Amino acid sequence: MKDKPFMFATIALILGGMLAIQFETTNNPIIRDTRDLWELRADLEKEKQRQQELNEELQRYSELLNKYKTEGKDEKIEAMEKALTDLKKQAGLTSVSGQGIVMTIEPFNDGLIGVDRPQPKIDPDMLRRLVNELNRYDAKEISIDGQRIISKTPIREVNGNIYINNEPISTFPIEIRVLAKNHEKLHQKIIASPAVEEFIREDFLVESTPSHKVILPAYDKEIKVKFMKPAKEET
Amino acid sequence: MWLPVLGLLIGLLLGFMSDIRVPPEYSNYLSIAVLAALDTLFGGIRAHLQGSFEDKVFITGFFFNILLAAGLAYLGVHLGIDLYLAAIFAFGVRLFNNIAVIRRLLISKWSDSRKKA
Repeated sequence: MKDKPFMFATIALILGGMLAIQFETTNNPIIRDTRDLWELRADLEKEKQRQQELNEELQRYSELLNKYKTEGKDEKIEAMEKALTDLKKQAGLTSVSGQGIVMTIEPFNDGLIGVDRPQPKIDPDMLRRLVNELNRYDAKEISIDGQRIISKTPIREVNGNIYINNEPISTFPIEIRVLAKNHEKLHQKIIASPAVEEFIREDFLVESTPSHKVILPAYDKEIKVKFMKPAKEET
Repeated sequence: MWLPVLGLLIGLLLGFMSDIRVPPEYSNYLSIAVLAALDTLFGGIRAHLQGSFEDKVFITGFFFNILLAAGLAYLGVHLGIDLYLAAIFAFGVRLFNNIAVIRRLLISKWSDSRKKA
């Protein structure tokens, strides 16, 4: 009978261990790393590139900070204005031009459409996929039918019409202008891309022409900022 | 009284420190085993309070219940029947019963000691 507390203690110890293990298991389950050597290398490369980008950004901002600190009032304002224009350009609030490609999308006219086949319809998903793919192939700026695509641009279907930036896009052909550093490469890649194939499957004719000067309009609506507040100045 | 609590704390600490994790496909078994262990522990406390505690019954009950529960769950997986529900039901009901009895015993003990005082 003397052993009773010890017995309870032993059982409680085992129970405690089991509880703890169960807790650990449910809270952070084992996630197996199934990447092979090549995937690991690719990931490492990606991380390195990201590190480099972050370093560059850091350097840029510290230079800017130095400029603010060291220069006089007029120069400060000048530097701020320059930063503001840079930001506006980044956000897509200015019209930009440069080398790029001009794509047109129109229904494939083989004389059969309208007879036993209905007029093909663009799905917003197809456009979204095209924009994603353009971005993947290093497109810098994109506009669709005169609407600049910015980070907050919605592409929706309302009553059978496609709306971009809450503006209905006009009738065919739809013109997509894209700026890119290497426009020839982008042209080659996008012509063979799955997104364009999707358009072709839906009876559209997609053409792309590389050009040395493509002009993209500015985003002309107000950008609503919902969840940002001005930072408090450090004292 | 304090020794079992200390044992539980040491067990928890060891479990957390050892960083042992069960593969997700076996975590079901472990949870049922934990339930069985809890049931046995509370059964033991109840028997102790009622004065009918037997160490052999306690120890064998602990391991046997755990094995039976895990075995039922295993059989259930292979038969395609959720047999572990039977274990959860049985242990859950017993757990509540035991805790209720323990509560009543403690309350009657407490009121007895107050009457004496």
